[in-house]
Amino acid sequence: MMSESWRYIRVISAKEIIEFIRDWRTLVAVIVIPLLIFPALFIALPMLMQSEAAELDALTLEVVWQGDVEDDLHLKYQDLKLNLTFEELSDDAENLSDPGSDLDRLRNQEYDAIFRLRNSSGTWEFSILHLSTSEYSAEAKARMLGALYDWEMEVINGTLTEAGLEPNETLNPVKWDGNPEYADAATKGEQAGLALSLFIPMVIAIWTATSAIQPSIDMTAGERERGTLEALLCLPCSRVQLLAGKWLAVATITSVGVGLQLAGLMFAITYLASSSIIGVPSISWSSVMLLGIAILIFAIMVVAFELAIAMKSHSVKEAGSLLGPAIIFIMFPAIFTQFINLDGIEAFWFSVPLVNILLAMRELLLDRVILEHIVVWLVSSLLYAGIAAWYAARQFKREDLVASLS
Amino acid sequence: MSDAMLTIEGVAKHFGEVSALSSIDLEISSGQVIGLVGGNGAGKTTLLRLMAGVMEPSSGDVLFRGKPVSSMRAKLGVVPESTGLYSRLTAWENIRYHSRMFGIDDTVAWNRTSHFAKRLDLSDSLSRHTKGFSRGMRQKTALLRALAHGPDILLLDEPTAGLDVTSARTVRTLVRQLRDEGGTVIYSTHHLAEAQQVCDRIIIVHNGTIRADGSPNDLLELTECSNLEDAYVALTSDKARARTEEPRSESKLARWWKVFLTGRTPDTVGGDDDE
Repeated sequence: MMSESWRYIRVISAKEIIEFIRDWRTLVAVIVIPLLIFPALFIALPMLMQSEAAELDALTLEVVWQGDVEDDLHLKYQDLKLNLTFEELSDDAENLSDPGSDLDRLRNQEYDAIFRLRNSSGTWEFSILHLSTSEYSAEAKARMLGALYDWEMEVINGTLTEAGLEPNETLNPVKWDGNPEYADAATKGEQAGLALSLFIPMVIAIWTATSAIQPSIDMTAGERERGTLEALLCLPCSRVQLLAGKWLAVATITSVGVGLQLAGLMFAITYLASSSIIGVPSISWSSVMLLGIAILIFAIMVVAFELAIAMKSHSVKEAGSLLGPAIIFIMFPAIFTQFINLDGIEAFWFSVPLVNILLAMRELLLDRVILEHIVVWLVSSLLYAGIAAWYAARQFKREDLVASLS
Repeated sequence: MSDAMLTIEGVAKHFGEVSALSSIDLEISSGQVIGLVGGNGAGKTTLLRLMAGVMEPSSGDVLFRGKPVSSMRAKLGVVPESTGLYSRLTAWENIRYHSRMFGIDDTVAWNRTSHFAKRLDLSDSLSRHTKGFSRGMRQKTALLRALAHGPDILLLDEPTAGLDVTSARTVRTLVRQLRDEGGTVIYSTHHLAEAQQVCDRIIIVHNGTIRADGSPNDLLELTECSNLEDAYVALTSDKARARTEEPRSESKLARWWKVFLTGRTPDTVGGDDDE
């Protein structure tokens, strides 16, 4: 009997998977996008940003210098690829930050920035008129501010020295001794685990839920809409076996998507680790195993729930309009969970639906194996997964699946 | 105990307050082609679904060799009106999927399929995806699928609906050949001429009840008519019921709201099969 049940489930899921992957759009959604999303986010995007920044660095920007000219500062500006035009300060401005008649010159992007400098009774006053919506203008402002800071420090140091004071001791009377990184008791691997725990559970939760939608709809409401469900219900298997077969197919497709996404993430992390940006997380095998169980239970629950909703629908459109907004119920706890402090957390949090699995994943990524928490999330999650499976089975047993075929 | 293959005892079927079938008693013996004849909404498809075990009767029993038919689905071959083929699979993959579910070895299923595919002139199309199939090819593939596991009884719901003349004739010829080889076929149709050509026994279903049951000659004798069309009209002279009836208790506003929300008219309550 058991082997017959397994045969039904195996045959149904194999057929569903074959049929599903014969659509090239599915292959893109299930394989290409999950595989590339993290490398694109963590490697390609920073590379693109670096390239854009380098391009901006190479530019010579047009700047007007109005008012007094200070020789040391002038020398610093000459090293910044600024094409300087000198002008007198106009009298129509109330203060240096008031653009006055220069407003149009900036807004028309005739110049990238206007630097104003005035020596007022021994104090240097300045302003940089700029257009914050222009990248060139923002870059000109940033370059000038950097040089101004250096020049200001030179002025302060000079004043302090003239007064017989040692600048470093005067300006930094309290300082950290040694390298602050060495003072952290957490290893690089643990720090990496913490960083990953802040978004991996969210990624897994949201991706599992979203990637299960399309196959869930296709295998239920899609069958109803295409008129293939009645022939399927005439087969000798029970409807629970039918549900199990379809569940296995959706879970497999979703697992492949999540697995590839994690593979892409690991590749990105390895790449970043080689650049010493982030360490490789150190997690024990028991944590990895429990993490796998947590993801599996989560998948059982989410996929069963989505199959049930999709089976309840009369058409693909109806199923889509129900399951699309339902993702909010996954996303909200996923985001909420990131803000829960794990130190001294109460055990009841590990019994809250969805939150429990997400918290469990966070804890395990930090390699914290706490028996009490494990028991609570394991028991409660199995209960919720059981309820979801029971609800799905009820939907599959409904008689109007046949009576109201689309 | 009777030697009937399929027994229907006091069966009634309701969808909510709507009665689709009532007081149905039938015995189906082997080696016959039995036609279920009736107009749209008569209850043919519901009766076939009960016989196929995909629906449970509201009262009464549907038994296959003395056991509930829902537990004996492996003995049945069903071709629903929609054919139910997967367009991303080839014809053979569609057939193989079902035969594997029935626990039939691929080689056995292939041999049976090849045998019947020759008769239906579909051998060359077995390796093609069914996406581009004509209605006739789809119907033939569904027939092959229903035959691949060697069922004791074949249930066909409007098997020639929408088929061209040649394809319809091919299907009818196969049904007769199956009968000649000792097979049992239950054949739902609303074409009397077709029923007369193919069926040994005709069951006229009207307004959810059986109005007549017998050979074409029996029906002519019963009604004292010269042809089956006149006989059918005489047996179903009362007005065909509306397909469904909406409960009176529902207010106009509630009905309007339901239609607005679901986009479905109230008369889809009892099922939208082409009965």
